[in-house]
This record gives sequence, C-alpha cells and structure tokens, in this order.
Amino acid sequence: MIYDSMEARDEILARLRRALSGPRPIFRERSDSSAPPGTPTAVTQADGDLRSLAKQFGAKLEEVSGSYEILEDAEEAFQRLVQLVKEWRAEDDEEVLSWASRALPIENLGGLLEESGISLFIPEDLHDESTRARAARANVGLTSADAAFASTGSIVLASGRGKSRAASLLPLRHLVLVPMSRIHTTVEAWLRTLRHDQALSSFLRVSGQIVFITGPSKSADIELNLTLGVHGPRVVHALIFDDTW
Amino acid sequence: MAVDAGAPYLTRVRQALADDGLRAALDRATEHLSGRRDQAMADIDAQLLRDEAGAVRRYAIEHLPDLLEQLESNLIGNGCQVHWARDAAEALGVILEIAREQGVGDVVKSKSMVTEEIGLNDALERSGINVVETDLGEFIVQLAGEPPSHIIAPVIHKRVEDIAEIFHRSLDMPLTTDPAELCAAARRELRNEFLIADMGVSGCNFAIAETGTICVVTNEGNGRMVMSLPRVHVVIAGIEKVVRSAEDAVLLWQAASRNATGQDVSVYFSLSSGPRRRGDADGPDEMHVILLDNGRSRILERGYGDATLCIRCGACINVCPVYREIGGHAYGRTPYSGPIGAVLTPLLDYDIHAARDLPFASSLCGACRDVCPVKIDLPRLLLDLRSVVVERNASPMGERAAMRAYSSVMRRPARYRALARLAARLGRFIGLLPPLSIWRRSRDLPRFAAKRFGTLWLERARDDEEGAAE
Repeated sequence: MIYDSMEARDEILARLRRALSGPRPIFRERSDSSAPPGTPTAVTQADGDLRSLAKQFGAKLEEVSGSYEILEDAEEAFQRLVQLVKEWRAEDDEEVLSWASRALPIENLGGLLEESGISLFIPEDLHDESTRARAARANVGLTSADAAFASTGSIVLASGRGKSRAASLLPLRHLVLVPMSRIHTTVEAWLRTLRHDQALSSFLRVSGQIVFITGPSKSADIELNLTLGVHGPRVVHALIFDDTW
Repeated sequence: MAVDAGAPYLTRVRQALADDGLRAALDRATEHLSGRRDQAMADIDAQLLRDEAGAVRRYAIEHLPDLLEQLESNLIGNGCQVHWARDAAEALGVILEIAREQGVGDVVKSKSMVTEEIGLNDALERSGINVVETDLGEFIVQLAGEPPSHIIAPVIHKRVEDIAEIFHRSLDMPLTTDPAELCAAARRELRNEFLIADMGVSGCNFAIAETGTICVVTNEGNGRMVMSLPRVHVVIAGIEKVVRSAEDAVLLWQAASRNATGQDVSVYFSLSSGPRRRGDADGPDEMHVILLDNGRSRILERGYGDATLCIRCGACINVCPVYREIGGHAYGRTPYSGPIGAVLTPLLDYDIHAARDLPFASSLCGACRDVCPVKIDLPRLLLDLRSVVVERNASPMGERAAMRAYSSVMRRPARYRALARLAARLGRFIGLLPPLSIWRRSRDLPRFAAKRFGTLWLERARDDEEGAAE
C-alpha cells in the first residue's frame, strides 16, 4: 500500500473526537434536545384488510408506471403467468430468467411451467461468460417479493441462493409474484415487525443485497422527459394472489 | 462549453448570464423540480419529516467516531475490506491499487459527487483504465467532456437538441430528438459496458452503522447494476454518510426522494452488505469501502458541522435565485453548486482563494433554508463564511479599498453630508464611472433621491414649528 490506512484511520478518528469534545461547538445552532432521536414516524400511511392493502399497493404501483393484477389463488396466478410469458417472449423457445423454484411462492412452479412449454433459466454463476450472455438474452425476468408495502407500491427483494439479482435487473420485463400475506401497510411497519422479532439485523446481513423496487427504471435527465427502462426493466408487473386460504 | 470552469468567478458569471438558452433551460428545470418537491411535501406532515430527518442526521454527526467504528467493524464482519483516506490523493491511491491488483481494464460508475470531488475519472484514465459514467445525465456530460452542473440533474443545462447532436457524434447514430430513442441508444451502449466491466464504483447515500450496510439511491437502476454485475465493487463514502440504523436510513431515503424529485420514494434503494454470499449467482466477489475525510473533520473543528448534515437532495439549488440565473458551471471546478455548494466548496479541500467568491453568490433570501429537509441554516453559514473571507483579507483589493472609503465617509458626518449632496446632484452620472460602474455590472444602482433625508427632516421640523406657531 502507498500509505498506511490504519494510520489514516486513527488520525481521522482522533480529529473527530477532538472536534466533538473541544470547547467550540460543532454546530452553529444549538440542539433542542440531547436525547437520542426516537424511531422515526411513518412518512406514508395505509390501512385496511389484506384485500384492501393489495389494492392500495397496486394503485400506488400504477402511479409510478408499474402494473398489477389481483388473482384469487396460486392456481389462477400460475395460469396468468403462463399467458403473460407467452405474450411477452420474443421467440417460442426463449427462456425466462428466473429465481429457483424453491424461492418462488407457488409449489413446483418450475415443473408446472415446463409442462406448459416455458423453460426457466436459473443462473448459477453470472461471472461466467456464457452464463452471463445467456442471461442477457432473456426478455422476461421472474421473481417474488420478500415483502411489499401498500403505501408506496414498493417490493423488497433479498438476494440469495437461487435468488439472482439479474432476474429483476437485466430483462426488459419483470414479473413479480406477490403473495398477499407479504403485503405490509408501510415500510416503517415492516421494519418495526422485524425489529420486534429481533430479525432486522440478520435480514439485512444474511443477504449480499436487499433492494427496494418501486416501479420500472426511469429517468428525466433529457429535458425532463420521463423515459422508462433506462437500465433496468421498462415493465414491472405484479401478480398479487391470495395465499391465505 | 458556454461557461469555462477555470475562469475567474465574475467571468464565469458573465458567460453564464450571456447564455439565454442556458437560463431558459435552468428556469424550466428548477421550477419543475421545486414544484414537484412542494407537492410531495404538501402530501405529508412536512414539518415532522424535517424535524426527524434533521434530528437523525445531527445524532449521526454528534456520534461520528463511534458510529464509524461500529460501521467499520460490521462491514468487516460482512466480508468487506475497509480503507480510510485522509484526502483525495489517498482515496485515489487505494482505488488505483485495487484496480492494479485485480487487473481492471474497464470501470462502470454510478452517479457520485464524491468521486467528482476527488477527480476519480481523470486519475483512472491517466492510468489507462476505461471509465464509463452510467447515470444517463452523467453519461451525456461525459460524452460532451463537461462536468455535471447539478447534483441531481447533471445535464440540466442542455437542451434535447444539444443531446441529439452529442449522441449523433459520439455514438454514431442518426440525429434524433426523440427522448425515448436517445434513451434506448444509451441503454444499448451502457448495457454492453455493464456486462464487460471488471469493477463498479459507486458513492454511498447512507451507511448503516448497526448492520454494516451501504445504501445507494437511484431511479435508473444503474446504481444496482454497478453494485451487482462487476467482480469488484468499490464504494467511496464521505465519513459523514454514516447513520445509526436501517430505520434512520429509510427515513432519510424518503426525505431525499421527496425533496430531490418529488417522488414518494426513488425507484431503486439498494442496500449492499458485503460481497456475494456462497451460492449466490451474482454480486461482487470483493467489496471495498473507502471512508474519506477530505476536509470533513476540519469542517467540524471549525464549527460548520451543519454543512455535514446535507443529504444531497438539491432542493436548495432548485429554489436559489442565483443558481437559477447562472447554473452549476459558474460555481467553478466543484461538483457542489447552489447554496450548499457555496458553503461546502470553500469548506472542503478547495483553495480559499479559488472559492472565496462563492459565499457571496447568494442574495441571502432564505429560500434554501426554508426547503432544506434537514433544516440547515444556509444563509447563516454563508454569512459566517463571508466574514472569514474578509477577516483573512481574501476579498479583492478593490473591494477592501471601497469598504475602507465607505467606513471613513460613514463615520464622519461632514464628509457624509458633502458626499450625499454631491450624489443627489450627480447621482445619474456617478454610476457610470469606476468603481461603481464595475459594481453595477452585476447589480442595479438605486436612484439617488433629489433631496437628502436630512434636508427633508429639517424642512419637516420647520413646517411643524410654523404650524405650531400659527
């Protein structure tokens, strides 16, 4: 190394400690209180039963250029999924870039799709050249929300074994399965539950990446014109289904 | 480029003011963004959000060394490599060393002001490494060979016709002003870069101390690509980016989204807690986090900690009447423009003489303070910085001479009366001569009244006496 990073570390921390304990206040304005701030209040609101939360989630997703359908059960969601993939794929033998069957909320989904003439590509190592090229050809990506929020139309995807980031990132269309039981009112309510169950820290640290996605990829960089699908998907379509039977 | 970032401040301002197209673009964009921001804040309890966002940022700065140590230990626990850098040179040294060790030839970057601050692209290119900006706006300014002119909307100063011309020239595509087609061309071009890049470099919006998590906010998804596709991910985070918890980060994410673009939340909020785990198909094999000081600890030492609360939403820039006239490039070789830029630029490791004019690039109207999501009193910081410039005798010689003359006149009633009589008679002409003619280049000289206030006062007193006598 060109310089000693540990020496830099100690010097920076020492400077900060000196500044904080020195006679001169670090802020121009004095603080109103010295107590640590409490847990932040929810910025957005939603309430109602699961059905109503599902509708609010969908409406919010539509507001940000996404789309959704609410289906009665897993069977109906599966039928709709087959229809959409056949409509969206460019060629009949084109693969869907997907999460592994066991990471999806419909029993034996991979097998059922194969029977319907849809093959899934579940990548194992995207740093491999040929795997990467194969993944890049897919037009449809299939995942499932680990959590969703009614008040903002956001979904949460956690990376992991059989849960590639690429499936929600590379294809132009992203199909996301949203079991109703995973819809929460707000992001803050979801965090509160995880915190209460002492699961928040492990949820964040077990996965390499957690992503909150709220609608399709967008930009307004060109003279404020809204364009969709700049890098990520242009279509984010949520198949919400009742899994509480 | 209409504005030469290396020219003196007043030259830059004159160049910007002479460009009518620039001012039309700025007007339209800043009005649009601040309108959307106002709407998004009207939908919620704005005061509560500002109070809470300000409080969690203050808490983080007040506990900075402890939170940084906690962050470091959790990042390492998550499998990250942590580096500390006192200044830009050290940060660049670390990145180049990682690139050399890993045999990196191609780098993709997501939008990051701190990488602009340390001049990363130049350093990589000088070492023969190809670096591509992947935010659409940043990609356009990179093709044009210009710096970004706004922290949220880097290409705010360009019309679609300019962008069409740049794409036509650089990407060898037919001339078109259709934003969707331009966007699709950028997608094709950049997708290829993402797939071949060996290293991704991102900034960091918030770093969660409790879990060792780096949070990046984007709308396009380029941030997530940079953090997910290359084998190596390097994060450069200013030391002030650390926050206590996931709850605090989620609050600030919403505050930033509403204030930057008027969205409830940004499209992507990517939280990386280290390299890919065993069995993961994608994600980097190595994740490095560089914690950069570069003048930030000195800002606290000097008592300007308020400036480190900033979450880079750009709301203060969009409402600033000065920025709306001159745009970002007139602030010089700094990625930070507008009111927060006029504060941060002289406070960071920039030469005080090069940045001495920026605290004066404000009318102190207070619009920036009113919109700031973490309640930074920007006019106060600007005023304090002005007095530092004056105390250090860093203000221009002519101005100091003028101030001395002013003080000698104002402290001597006889001189003041004589000069005021002269002004009343010759008021229309004295503005045409130096030094006032220079001052008037960027300001209007008020008309002098035909009668002095003192004369009016005496006359009124006389009238009253006469009235009383009658």
